[in-house]
Amino acid sequence: MSEIVFQPVGRRVTAAPGETLLEAAQSAGVAISAVCGGIGVCGDCRVRVLRGTVSAPNAIEQDQLTDSDQAAGLRLACQTVIKGAGEIVVDVPRESLSAPQRSQVEGAEIPLAVEPAIQVHDLSAAPPSIHDLRGDWERVQGIDPAAWRLDAPVLAELPGVLRAHGWQTRLIAHGADVVRFLPPGMTPFGFAVDVGTTGLAAYLVDLLTGQTRGIAGATNPQIAYGEDVMARLTLAVRDPAGAARLQAVMVEVLNGLLREVCTQAGVPTDRVVDLVAVGNTAMHHLLLGLPVEQLGSAPYVPAIASPLVIPARPLGLEAAPGARLYLPPNVAGFVGADHVAMLLATATADQPGVTLSLDIGTNTEVTLNAHGQLWCCSTASGPAFEGAHIRDGMRAAAGAIERLIWQDGGLRWLTIEHAPPVGLCGSGILDAVAVLRAAGILSDTGAMRRDDPRVRREDYNPRYEIVPAAQTGHGREVALSRGDVNEVQLAKAAIRAGIKLLVERAGLSEAEIDRVIVAGAFGNYIDLQSAITIGMFPPLPLERFHQVGNAAGIGAKRLLINAPERARAAVLVARLRYIELTNHPDFSDRFSQAVRLTPDPWDA
Amino acid sequence: MLIAEIREAVINGQAKVVATKVEQALNEGVPADRILHDALIDGMREVGELFEQGEFFVPEMLIAARAMKGALEILKPRLVAQGVEPLGRVAIGTVKGDLHDIGKSLVAMMLEGAGFEVMDLGVDVAPEKFVEALQNGAQIVAMSALLTTTMSNMKATIDAIAAAGLRDKALVMVGGAPVTQAYADQVGADGYAPDASAAVRKARELIAS
Repeated sequence: MSEIVFQPVGRRVTAAPGETLLEAAQSAGVAISAVCGGIGVCGDCRVRVLRGTVSAPNAIEQDQLTDSDQAAGLRLACQTVIKGAGEIVVDVPRESLSAPQRSQVEGAEIPLAVEPAIQVHDLSAAPPSIHDLRGDWERVQGIDPAAWRLDAPVLAELPGVLRAHGWQTRLIAHGADVVRFLPPGMTPFGFAVDVGTTGLAAYLVDLLTGQTRGIAGATNPQIAYGEDVMARLTLAVRDPAGAARLQAVMVEVLNGLLREVCTQAGVPTDRVVDLVAVGNTAMHHLLLGLPVEQLGSAPYVPAIASPLVIPARPLGLEAAPGARLYLPPNVAGFVGADHVAMLLATATADQPGVTLSLDIGTNTEVTLNAHGQLWCCSTASGPAFEGAHIRDGMRAAAGAIERLIWQDGGLRWLTIEHAPPVGLCGSGILDAVAVLRAAGILSDTGAMRRDDPRVRREDYNPRYEIVPAAQTGHGREVALSRGDVNEVQLAKAAIRAGIKLLVERAGLSEAEIDRVIVAGAFGNYIDLQSAITIGMFPPLPLERFHQVGNAAGIGAKRLLINAPERARAAVLVARLRYIELTNHPDFSDRFSQAVRLTPDPWDA
Repeated sequence: MLIAEIREAVINGQAKVVATKVEQALNEGVPADRILHDALIDGMREVGELFEQGEFFVPEMLIAARAMKGALEILKPRLVAQGVEPLGRVAIGTVKGDLHDIGKSLVAMMLEGAGFEVMDLGVDVAPEKFVEALQNGAQIVAMSALLTTTMSNMKATIDAIAAAGLRDKALVMVGGAPVTQAYADQVGADGYAPDASAAVRKARELIAS
């Protein structure tokens, strides 16, 4: 038997030799598009085999796939047969998925003045004549040509634009650097992107009005090379070619997003004159191709913490010739610019009283504003809430159970797109643990009752049947195992211990927190009562919690629209006091307490 | 019976109950070493067994170990006064460059719960710190690494122990997610354990050899 892992959706399934990858995908509930039903006619089910032993491409594939497809390692899942034993890792490109994955781009916004980092100068030039033989640039009126910096690709557009538009041009500048000569009256655009470890969210913004004109999301393609940040850093450290690949797939996905949002607005990508990318420190370094060895080993320092403004084109980004990419400051090795952006977007630092802001992900960043003093930490919550290492875990796609409640002595569930259930996404996993705990099927230590008729114990890892096989989309039961509960306990303990240690450092108690701002795609969809029931969040009145969606993405957009926000980012970072948890003397003890599935684990 | 109640409370991880009942037992004149052996160590032995049988997972083990550790703090001065000898002395730490704490701390607590005296050197521990611990009476060096980038520091530590002329009397154990028996053999460790419970068994085995 082989274990097949489908990336980036993160589903695993066991399959026998002789089965095709499409069959394995279907039994795993991965919705690979196959209109022809798997007979090798439609060519929709394109996948990449990253690791493992499978059949060689057959005649049908050679016929269906172009030479460049084949050179890129593309296969037809319906024709690729599993051989031998061992793990097979399969990358499913987004276009091969029939069900769109839930977008990670929604978020609440605070209004902001349009004051971008670029300047717009509408200029005209004197036409040349036998009496005026100066260059086109020197004939542009009202400016001192010597005061500007411009390079050849930027300059190359000037003669054409002037001649085609009656000697008019719209000069886009970044300080003294010319970014682009646009035709007169043409709107410059900006691109903001939140580069998450798991997913990306991108926005196209009209830099004259501040309006959002395009929104798109994508899965981080680096997932195929490692689910968590550490695995990717390890690859980059071990193998320079690996580092180059991680950078290349990142640039590729950014260009894809750039094209997608520009298509939505009906403009070419070179209309983008300013870019902002926020991500954790590892994503920042991998995108820029910076060395990561010092980031992957204690004491985990970044190559640079200061903000950067760099030309976008040399990185391979398909923006305007002189476009600049702004990367906000990083706080520490594991607290990056994405958290800075999130804090800006939620105005965490400006709140009166005591505010706790969390961005929940594979690493969860936590900031506490205690009466104006800012403390922050990063805590390794792991990928459990992304559905990884969970028996029937999956990302938020069609058929994922996203909400579970206990009603009339049984479970009621709600799936994304109301499709038949095939697994549990993060919010569903959280609810499942909470309802089973509330129903007494799980003890506060996480142990599962044995005498319940829906608890199966065929192996050492008991599981609770959530949906019987007859009612699922793939004909197998959806269940929550004791091992899954274990993963959730370790994840939520990391978050709660981080909160507790910050609160203690500030000399406060959890009950004194006036408001809790929960950011991130997962944080947006979770049921707060479930999070309190299992002890992930302190038991505060629900009205103190605010779920704000992808605040990091919103923050990136603010840094694009409003240049003073960039100055505020620098001030904010200088105010943040970072607490390292990994060598904190009380971390182990707090963590050991916080694994308990109870709202107040400190009193045990 | 108080001893049985403490033992049960350790297994269930009821830290407050354990502490209260240990105080009560001491007040009633139960010797500290009896509480240690019959309640704490025997309770933790059962926790280890339940883990190996798949009844317990890491959270139950963490919760029980924490309850045991609280009781041990109460007993320690009495045990010292009574002159109770530990099963052995272990210096434990996560290797240089690695800041992972939880797994190492769990092993430390399980070893304490088995009657070992544990010097927890913490995380990001340089080879010379392990050497120093051996010079200060440690018999076993237990190293943890969670990263493939840092596990090579296990070899560096063993080399440093050899360079200090202590290799013959030091027992070296290694563990952590990326570490295997084959890797342990390769770096010349005396023992390897895949989890906290197995680490206790391995330490007992090494000290008895």
